[in-house]
Amino acid sequence: MKRHFREWSVAATLGLLLIVLAITAPGFFRTRQLLSTLSTAIPVLLVACGMAIVIISRQIDVSVGSQFAICSVLAGLLVREHWPVAAAAAAAIAAGVCLGALNGFFVAALGLPSIVVTLATMVTWREALRWCREGEFVRDLPSGFQWFGLGQLPGQLSILAISVALFLFLAWALKYLSAGRFAYAIGSDAEAARLAGLRPRWITFWVFVLLGGLTAIAALLNAVRFTDIDPKTGTGLEFSAIAAAVVGGIAISGGRGNLWGVLAGVLLLACIGPALVFFRWPPQWEKALQGLIILAAVTADGWRTKKQS
Amino acid sequence: MALLELSNISKSFEAVHALRNVSFDLRAGEVHAIVGENGAGKSTLIKIITGALQPDSGMIQIAGQLTRHLTPAAAQASGIAAIYQQPALFPDLTIAENISLRLDKPRAAGRVRWAQLRIRARELLQRIGAQVEPDCEIRQLSMPQQQLVEIACAIGGGARILIMDEPTASLPAREVDLLLGLVDSLRADGVGIIYVSHRLDEIFRIANRVTVLRDGQSAGTRSIASQQPAEAQVSKPGVSPTSKPAGRGNDTSDQSLQDPAGLETCATHLTEAELIRMMVGREVSTIFPPAESTPSTPHLWVQKLSCRAAGVHNVNFELRAGEILGLAGLVGVGRTGLARVLFGILPADSGTITLAGRDVRIDSPRDAIEAGIGYVPEDRRRHGVILPMSIAANITMATHARVFPHAWLQLPAERSEAQRWIQDLAIKTPSEEVPAANLSGGNQQKVALARWLAADPKVLILDEPTQGVDVAAKAEIHKLIRRLAARGLAVLMVSSDLPEILGMSNRIAVMRGGTIVRVLDGKTADAHSVMTAALGSNDKR
Amino acid sequence: MNFTLRSSSSLSELLLFVALILEIVIFSFTGSNFATKNNLFEILRLSTEIGLLALVMTPIILTGGIDLSVGSLLGLCAILFGKMWRDLHFPIALAAFCTLAIGAAGGLLNASLITRLNLPPLIVTLGSFSLFRGLAEAITRGVDNFTDFPASFLFLGQGYLPGGIPVQVVVLLVASVSIWLLIHQTVFGRSFRAIGFSSEGALFAGLPVKKRLTLAYVLAGTVAGLAALIYVARVGQAKADAGTGYELLAITAVVLGGSSIFGGTGTVHGTLLGVALLAVLKVGLILSDQPGELAGILTGALLLAALSGNILLTKFLMRRAAITK
Repeated sequence: MKRHFREWSVAATLGLLLIVLAITAPGFFRTRQLLSTLSTAIPVLLVACGMAIVIISRQIDVSVGSQFAICSVLAGLLVREHWPVAAAAAAAIAAGVCLGALNGFFVAALGLPSIVVTLATMVTWREALRWCREGEFVRDLPSGFQWFGLGQLPGQLSILAISVALFLFLAWALKYLSAGRFAYAIGSDAEAARLAGLRPRWITFWVFVLLGGLTAIAALLNAVRFTDIDPKTGTGLEFSAIAAAVVGGIAISGGRGNLWGVLAGVLLLACIGPALVFFRWPPQWEKALQGLIILAAVTADGWRTKKQS
Repeated sequence: MALLELSNISKSFEAVHALRNVSFDLRAGEVHAIVGENGAGKSTLIKIITGALQPDSGMIQIAGQLTRHLTPAAAQASGIAAIYQQPALFPDLTIAENISLRLDKPRAAGRVRWAQLRIRARELLQRIGAQVEPDCEIRQLSMPQQQLVEIACAIGGGARILIMDEPTASLPAREVDLLLGLVDSLRADGVGIIYVSHRLDEIFRIANRVTVLRDGQSAGTRSIASQQPAEAQVSKPGVSPTSKPAGRGNDTSDQSLQDPAGLETCATHLTEAELIRMMVGREVSTIFPPAESTPSTPHLWVQKLSCRAAGVHNVNFELRAGEILGLAGLVGVGRTGLARVLFGILPADSGTITLAGRDVRIDSPRDAIEAGIGYVPEDRRRHGVILPMSIAANITMATHARVFPHAWLQLPAERSEAQRWIQDLAIKTPSEEVPAANLSGGNQQKVALARWLAADPKVLILDEPTQGVDVAAKAEIHKLIRRLAARGLAVLMVSSDLPEILGMSNRIAVMRGGTIVRVLDGKTADAHSVMTAALGSNDKR
Repeated sequence: MNFTLRSSSSLSELLLFVALILEIVIFSFTGSNFATKNNLFEILRLSTEIGLLALVMTPIILTGGIDLSVGSLLGLCAILFGKMWRDLHFPIALAAFCTLAIGAAGGLLNASLITRLNLPPLIVTLGSFSLFRGLAEAITRGVDNFTDFPASFLFLGQGYLPGGIPVQVVVLLVASVSIWLLIHQTVFGRSFRAIGFSSEGALFAGLPVKKRLTLAYVLAGTVAGLAALIYVARVGQAKADAGTGYELLAITAVVLGGSSIFGGTGTVHGTLLGVALLAVLKVGLILSDQPGELAGILTGALLLAALSGNILLTKFLMRRAAITK
């Protein structure tokens, strides 16, 4: 328990918030509301998991928002051209993987700092998309696209099921698959990893590819909720993902943290918006509160480290 | 049959010949030491053995098999393992995981079986007598403990050829004994150990043979007259050192591969002086420069100094102008901690520091500098100098207020300041603009020293001043320290090098458990009295 | 090795300069009225705010840190300035002064968390990035904007001095010279570099690391406040979204200018070159009737190209002057 003190404290904070909500705003827990909150949180969760693995490898990716937008728009356009949903989904995932691979190439093969590379790709991709779409939404999506053609409730539940399965797999893989431990190794000490026979560049590359793929899946699971696709979707996603990861205990210095903490972080940050509504506070406070929570989380971390040393 | 045999190995980098026709062999159950000044080619040779570098010419034979292209993976598979001064471990991961990552072939799709990892780690740790739990994170371990983990990895990997590069550089006497005992038992198991070290006394203690490298060439391989280590571990009979017939020139390398088993002819007793001569090609005195002055008035007076974070409590001592006070003790007793408190890196919890009759409060390095205290830290590369910056920038870094009045940079003033110290301390460099990273360890240490001398301190704290420095530079630094003391500087010298402590100190303060337990007179103290005080026992060792 | 690094960084600065000249040449042909004095001043006028932010981002990046919050702080300062003027009825000069103080306070918040608790600047400024923007949005409830500033104030952002020089260009000039002197001619700049190369090494050398870092971040915050004033004066109104994305442009300019994101190396003239590159690109494209998005695309591509080129060049030069170990 001591080893995972960080993750437990986030979970406790989440628990506290939920209890307060249960007492003062029980409407939050009505099925429809809950599913709505979760549906908004799920894309962030998947991206945050991928981001967590990137951060554990001592890198960062601030371009996921642009990747998200591109994959969403691509899926919508393909589906409008009467592609079957599955094929469009596959294409979108392929696109996400390619975008991730591009980031991975610059960071792993050329050795450029990831903050700058992903800053550059973020701007380039976002502007390129804006140029193509000129701000236009992708409308007239065939009915088979929204909710995978299942209708809202079954659709939301399937999205939930897919994400839970994916999350559990990722959490398991990170702990029980060697590939997962490699990410921790290169994040802890890339040189030692190289000496141990690992290939840090390869691992870094695939970590970015994984994030790209997860972002694409998140984009799909988000896009099917609506009747049209906003090219500005995904704005600020990188912030939410990084924030959730950091709040969830992933250390920016790499090599530490796990996905259960990320889950708690995602849920905590996701609950703020709806909680504001239920407490009847102006919704514009969401951003400020998120910022405060991040600062509180890292400050607490810093205090603890200081007291220990 | 030799475990490992290198014949006529040469390696150049652009125009520089790192190694020229070096031959070297290692037998099973032998400790073969390699010594040489910095830049002599030791690390290049090691890298060739571990497969990190490819020789330009020459042959490598492992257990009699000619090896064409030795890669790190192939070397590891052939049972070659290396342990460096800086453990190549993952700080955030547990011991068990570290061992697994090092020993198991990396397969991305492989499953991680945590229980098995722990069991294996526990086994290996027990085998080498390490008292740590497999679930500890590496960053929670001390340096000696981390080295033990490294050794566990090497053993676990079935290493038959173990390379140890300066393994005792940061260990004090007791831990050194443990390590050398471990080396002995490995030798008894038939493992061949290549022992690279600057510590000549250890080499005479533990090695069967020693090869001297000088300027990229072998200056000879000699056998050490067999010495029993203090904890007598009898080596396997039949594995006795061969002798080199007297009269062989110093510049030819030893090519004798035959091992007349059981023959122990009268060996030419290799002396330390002779060894040093082989290393530097000239006579270098191992006698420490004599004390030139008698210390006078007490300049620094420390009373009841305590700091929990530094691991020191109730420290009392005085330091006189013109005196060298050696600070001895086992690793972790708080010597560097004390230095850090005196220098303001860590704030004292209680106690007083009195300088020249005035009580001072030292809350930051700035305060210490203003009080006239300088500190040459132990970790030269991380704290002593800033590697990417120029020698000049490094030298003036503690004296901005003096060299650059009104905060304005004046490069000519800096240049002449740097030139002065480069000359004064004989720092070998083409110019003062060269980044400190380009210098050898000894010269970097001189730059670190120059930085503090430029601040004109009254008290100079030296933390392991000659660690990782080759013999010639060591002698220069010792002479320097004497000169400084003669000029009236009060010197506090932390050192784990017992001969250095005994040879240089006017008085020796021994620390144990965070406080000073004995102060000995430098003239009458010997290794025994120091160790007794450090260990706190009365047994004869 | 010093020779290689030095030659590689001045080589890349040279290349940047060449790229700038190239841009200017190309746009003089493709753009209408590009190569005119008025246009030059317009470019400078429009790039003052980002230029200011890039200038103060330089010492921060030199120390190996980063500040993602300057754009949001600009926004917060802008609306608070508006609020002080409109709702609290401060005299404009007092409001302006208080705005600078608020910027300094924002910088101080970042500085305190980073220096006292040893927190990574990336995350601290990510949090304050959200906090500042969030506060701006919350205070204005997302809709409020402030207008009707006095002409004397608007002169700062819209006025011209004799000779057609926009007023804020003078501010940019003064700031450029000051920051250049700070970084290249004072011990502060030396300290920033030392801290960037090794903050522990700097501490052990007796440098006041915490004070220097605090200076860097508080300076950034104060200048963010100044940039906010200029922004409001130029645009004539203060909205919560002022300065969105500015921090990215500032960081881009600094990195384009040759500073290493890890700290220790970098120059102010490099940063100014980077700002110039970005500004000329943007205005040149507009005057050449190209879509605005092209500026963003080319900026990203330029950044990647510059970094890749630099790395490949450094590797090539290091291989040439090989070092033995």
